[in-house]
Amino acid sequence: VTSPVGVTDTRLEFRHLDRLYVPVALVVAGLVLAAVVFALVRYRARADREPSARTEAKVLESVYALVLAAVVAVLVVTTFRTESRVDALAGRPGLRVDVVASKWTWRFAYAGTGVSDTGSGLGPPVLHVPTGTTVRFRLTSLDVIHSFYMPGLRFKRDAFPRRYTSFDLDFDHAGLLNGECAEFCGLHHSDMAFVVDAMAPAQFRAWLADRRATTRSPGAGP
Amino acid sequence: VSAIAATPPRGLIDAVAGTDHKSLGKRLVALAFAFFLAGGVLALILRSELAAPGMQVVSRDAYDQLFSMHGSTMIYLFVTPVALALGVYLVPLQVGAAQIAYPRAAVTGFWTLLAGGVTMWSGFLTTNGAGKAGWTAFDPLSDSVNTPGTGMDLWIVGVSLAAASAIVLAACVLATVLTRRAPGMTMLRLPIFSWTMVVTCLMTITSFPVLIVAMGLLLYERGFGGVFDSAGGPIAYQHLFWFYGHPVVYVMFFPFVGAVAETIAVFSRRRFFGYSAMVVSLLVFTALSMSVWAHHMFATGQVTNKYFSFTSTALAVPAGIEYFDLIATMIGGAILLRTPMLFAVGFLLQFLIGGLSGIYVGSPPLDYHVTDTYFVVAHFHYTLLAGSVFAFFAGVYFWFPKVTGAFLREGLGKVHFWLMVIGTNVTFFPMFVLGYDGMQRRIADYPPARGWEGLNTMATVGSGVIALAVLVFLVNVAVSLTFRREAGADPWGGHSLEWATSSPPPPHNFDALPPIRSAQPVLDAREVAAGVVAT
Repeated sequence: VTSPVGVTDTRLEFRHLDRLYVPVALVVAGLVLAAVVFALVRYRARADREPSARTEAKVLESVYALVLAAVVAVLVVTTFRTESRVDALAGRPGLRVDVVASKWTWRFAYAGTGVSDTGSGLGPPVLHVPTGTTVRFRLTSLDVIHSFYMPGLRFKRDAFPRRYTSFDLDFDHAGLLNGECAEFCGLHHSDMAFVVDAMAPAQFRAWLADRRATTRSPGAGP
Repeated sequence: VSAIAATPPRGLIDAVAGTDHKSLGKRLVALAFAFFLAGGVLALILRSELAAPGMQVVSRDAYDQLFSMHGSTMIYLFVTPVALALGVYLVPLQVGAAQIAYPRAAVTGFWTLLAGGVTMWSGFLTTNGAGKAGWTAFDPLSDSVNTPGTGMDLWIVGVSLAAASAIVLAACVLATVLTRRAPGMTMLRLPIFSWTMVVTCLMTITSFPVLIVAMGLLLYERGFGGVFDSAGGPIAYQHLFWFYGHPVVYVMFFPFVGAVAETIAVFSRRRFFGYSAMVVSLLVFTALSMSVWAHHMFATGQVTNKYFSFTSTALAVPAGIEYFDLIATMIGGAILLRTPMLFAVGFLLQFLIGGLSGIYVGSPPLDYHVTDTYFVVAHFHYTLLAGSVFAFFAGVYFWFPKVTGAFLREGLGKVHFWLMVIGTNVTFFPMFVLGYDGMQRRIADYPPARGWEGLNTMATVGSGVIALAVLVFLVNVAVSLTFRREAGADPWGGHSLEWATSSPPPPHNFDALPPIRSAQPVLDAREVAAGVVAT
């Protein structure tokens, strides 16, 4: 599946879907609560109360089942549409970042540049990305299953060993985001954080050029 | 019947090998409840650790063992076995049988469960500690490289034994329904609770063997390798695990819905409304439950999310019909709000939060955000604790007079109920917010900068209230058994056959059965005696 650049804004897609599911859930919860409270108040046992002998209302139940099915259909169709957009891969992404998860850190490598970041003892690894660009991620793990999670983007994807998983993300505005590992991966699972630094494209290009220069300089390794 | 068969064994022999299903059912409930208390203590330690950022109470390694053993204990050793134990005790009575089918096999179910629990917990005595790869033990985290040590092996063997116990018990209960029904007790006159046990046993028998296979492969992988080493290995393990792991969610749900259905009908003083719709929806639910497993795997990017999202969301239809029938039974009734009914209503309203959040996580684009966070922890605790455990207590207060001949105290019961309501919601509601804000599950610690401390402290306080509620319940049981208030054969005005015999029932269950012409033969007999209907 391909789509034009710029449509896989996970944050926006999440918000739209969330704004369908939450009100539906609240209405259902309200109806059930009202029905239970009504029953408890109106139908409490009293000396003069004979309970109803009725045991079925097949027409009502059938109509009700159809209403439920219709609600399910709306939810499922909307979910399918949203998911198609969220999972779509762009024909020509603006940048590819290879993400390698391992116990208990991340390595971000910018395809075709030789630039990468694995973090250091001083702080968590930083993922630099340009805003307004579809970024292709290619994710894998060196050991156990991890999960590449950015709560601010409302998105995570599991990293499996011996396997690459690709997905596209858009970062709609500049700034810092928290990144975490969401799949339990052993002793330091809770410490496996990273930082996302989303920067304007010009700034990002400048940063990348700077890092390439550093990387190419003698003694800096491949 | 010989004189020997008519005299049930007592004391030690009964405790070890007694085949009477009522004695066995009581032993199973007591054993499972002991595991509930043990698993609860682990939860209290977890909550103390999470009350504030930083490691204060246990080490990270201990934390990983504790959360893994908390989940494993609750799922493999408490909720599943206690659900089946209710069936072992009640189903033979409800179908008018003198005994469970294959009673000796059923007794092995008790010993296999005990062996499984002891094996799993003995991991704490080993050098590397108990199983610490979560209750799911995903490969490769659970292999011998990433989780070395005997404790993990013991965990695998313990889970296998617990699963074997569940299969045996389910087979016995199902065979009882199929082969031991009294004359007149057709399948469409089974009480709703027995119907929920039928579907529970069907799911257990079809899905638990796959868990044993997964555990066998995992044990082999740990010993010799080569099982899950391919690129598709880890995902294959997840398919095997969740093929068990989703039906089990309903194994841990249906018997409790059944208990609530019986409670609501009796305490609304009318016949259960929509019996046939309920039975059909249980069967549809069961069929669907076998095809929803990969909704646990949306974020892997390796399953057909849309298919599993569709089947999972479609569960809302039979679930909605079940809710309709439960509430419609109350509307038009004459409701007595005794403790069993309070717990039943608590189940209805709180499970709803679990169910609706379940629809939410059944949508992959929403699940991408909240899966593996505290949102999911909140979701399944609303189904299992706020749902199933509340319904379990409804059943305990409802059937305790039948099992022991004595009532549980109403006053203490109400204190127990309200403390449970407060504790459960104060503990688990904040977790929805924490998860939505990105707090991952299974973390031993969290950074102070994320602002998660307040809600975590609140959840920890709530867990203390739940512990207090459970203590009140234990006091209630002790007081009620010491200073007995005799209940008689049918204290609530029951509907199904267990109320047609003495409390507790004699070893052979029934001296005589009333005519069985509906799903409520005891109510029929009462109405005939009162002249409400012609004979």
